[in-house]
Amino acid sequence: MVILIDALFGFFFILFAYLLIVAKDWRQVLALTLAGVLVVALVSPPSTHAQASLATAIQSVLSIINGRIQTALNAINSVRSTIEQYYKEAVWPISVINQAKALVTQMIGQYRSLMQGIFTMNLSSATLPNPTALESVIRNHQTGDFTTLATSFGNAFGSIPAPTAASPADRTMMDMDDALAMDNLKTLKESDAADDLTLQAANNIEDQAAQAAPGSAPFLTATAVAASIQSQALTQKMLAGELRQEAARIAHQNTLRKRGATMTGDVNTQILNLLQRH
Amino acid sequence: MKKITVAVKRGLGWFWRHKARAVVLVVILFLVAPKPVKSQFLDPCCAIMAAGLNSIGSTISSVVGGGLSGILSIEQDIASFEQTVVWPQNLINQARSLVVSMQGIFTQMESVMRIPVNSATLPTTQQFEQNLLSGDPNQIAQTSTQYTAVYGAVPDATAASPQTRDLVDMTDAAAQAAMKKAIEIDALANLELQAADQINQNIATAAPGSAPIVEAQADAWLVRANAYTQSATADLMRVRAVDLADESAAVKNGAANSTAIQQQIYNILKRP
Repeated sequence: MVILIDALFGFFFILFAYLLIVAKDWRQVLALTLAGVLVVALVSPPSTHAQASLATAIQSVLSIINGRIQTALNAINSVRSTIEQYYKEAVWPISVINQAKALVTQMIGQYRSLMQGIFTMNLSSATLPNPTALESVIRNHQTGDFTTLATSFGNAFGSIPAPTAASPADRTMMDMDDALAMDNLKTLKESDAADDLTLQAANNIEDQAAQAAPGSAPFLTATAVAASIQSQALTQKMLAGELRQEAARIAHQNTLRKRGATMTGDVNTQILNLLQRH
Repeated sequence: MKKITVAVKRGLGWFWRHKARAVVLVVILFLVAPKPVKSQFLDPCCAIMAAGLNSIGSTISSVVGGGLSGILSIEQDIASFEQTVVWPQNLINQARSLVVSMQGIFTQMESVMRIPVNSATLPTTQQFEQNLLSGDPNQIAQTSTQYTAVYGAVPDATAASPQTRDLVDMTDAAAQAAMKKAIEIDALANLELQAADQINQNIATAAPGSAPIVEAQADAWLVRANAYTQSATADLMRVRAVDLADESAAVKNGAANSTAIQQQIYNILKRP
């Protein structure tokens, strides 16, 4: 750009000089002189007088830095300090966090063994061999001995009579009653085993809570809630079993009523027939 | 060389003859020729600017830099506090590991509860028991038929009194409804177990900030599960209420029968 301007300047100056040299009289020289002066006056940049305004601008920048910026930074600093203090003293005070962890540890020591001891007390009460065997199998929290349960159940409550020893209706009802009773006993063994796992889960969560930080606790609470859903589902399964059992009980009574009604009708007919003969 | 000397002499001669033109040329050349730039070191304007910039620099360094250093120090304190006390990465990872181990416990519980408990031995009862333990709501449609196959139907109008038939039908209805409800509740419980699994898997991959959201969802599921438990309990109460009413009806029937028999005996004795 500078080279271009310099070349242009040279070109115009040579042209001006040539015209001035070849001018024929004083009037042409005067006209060229005036034209040259006019061009110089138009093209020359005005001189600057910025020394005073520069000092003012610098002073203005300094006052902004010392005024607004310093005030803003001080305010930010103050707010962050307050937030830090609030975090440390009100939201997450280390002493209170440690106190909570200590409480968890203390409660584990105070209750866990005690409750475990109560929960695992031996409740068996049967005295004779068959009931003792059955009681033992229904309370052992195992799920791999359902065959033993069926055998012990048969020994204690008897098995379904042979087809020659009872009517089909009786055999059906006995089988259904026994089946639902055994179903529930098996379900209870399963739920006992699941209970043990639930208690183990609760212990694990509590152990972890004793070492948790405020930021890791939400994981524990969330998984505890998920475990509660599981536990609730198992409770529902037990209730479903209880419903089946209660329903079977009234169905059993109702069947006896149906038979009673039928038998009463038969007896009535027979008495009527007897009376009619005489 | 001789030619140059001649040309210079001619030029100087021209200037001597045209003094006014030469002066105009020199003046114009002086005026329009590019001017040299002022030195940064010698010009007073640059000196003032340099001093001003130095002053601005030192002010920024002390005021802005000092303020920012203070903020940085507090931010570092907060960051350290959050990383060591509030959200320590090692404890977050430890909590995640626990969640993963809980998943194992959940799987064990589910597999324990899935062990078949079927115990019936006769074909009719086996079929009915299969229906009752299916946990499949689509099989509820067959429950009534299979119930009747095991427990019998309501006696004909010729075989029992209307009161007895009402009693039998009501009791059968309560028993069947309870059995159907049991199938329904089993199905719901299976879905809840599945949902609990899914939720727990989400927790294992959650961040401390997103875990409360997953927990909120789990809470909602727990509320829902409580509602289903209440519903099952309600049905259990219903079936027991019907059982109680059934017992009462038996006593009432007994009283009515006794009165009828007394009347009949009285009538027989009155005959001559």
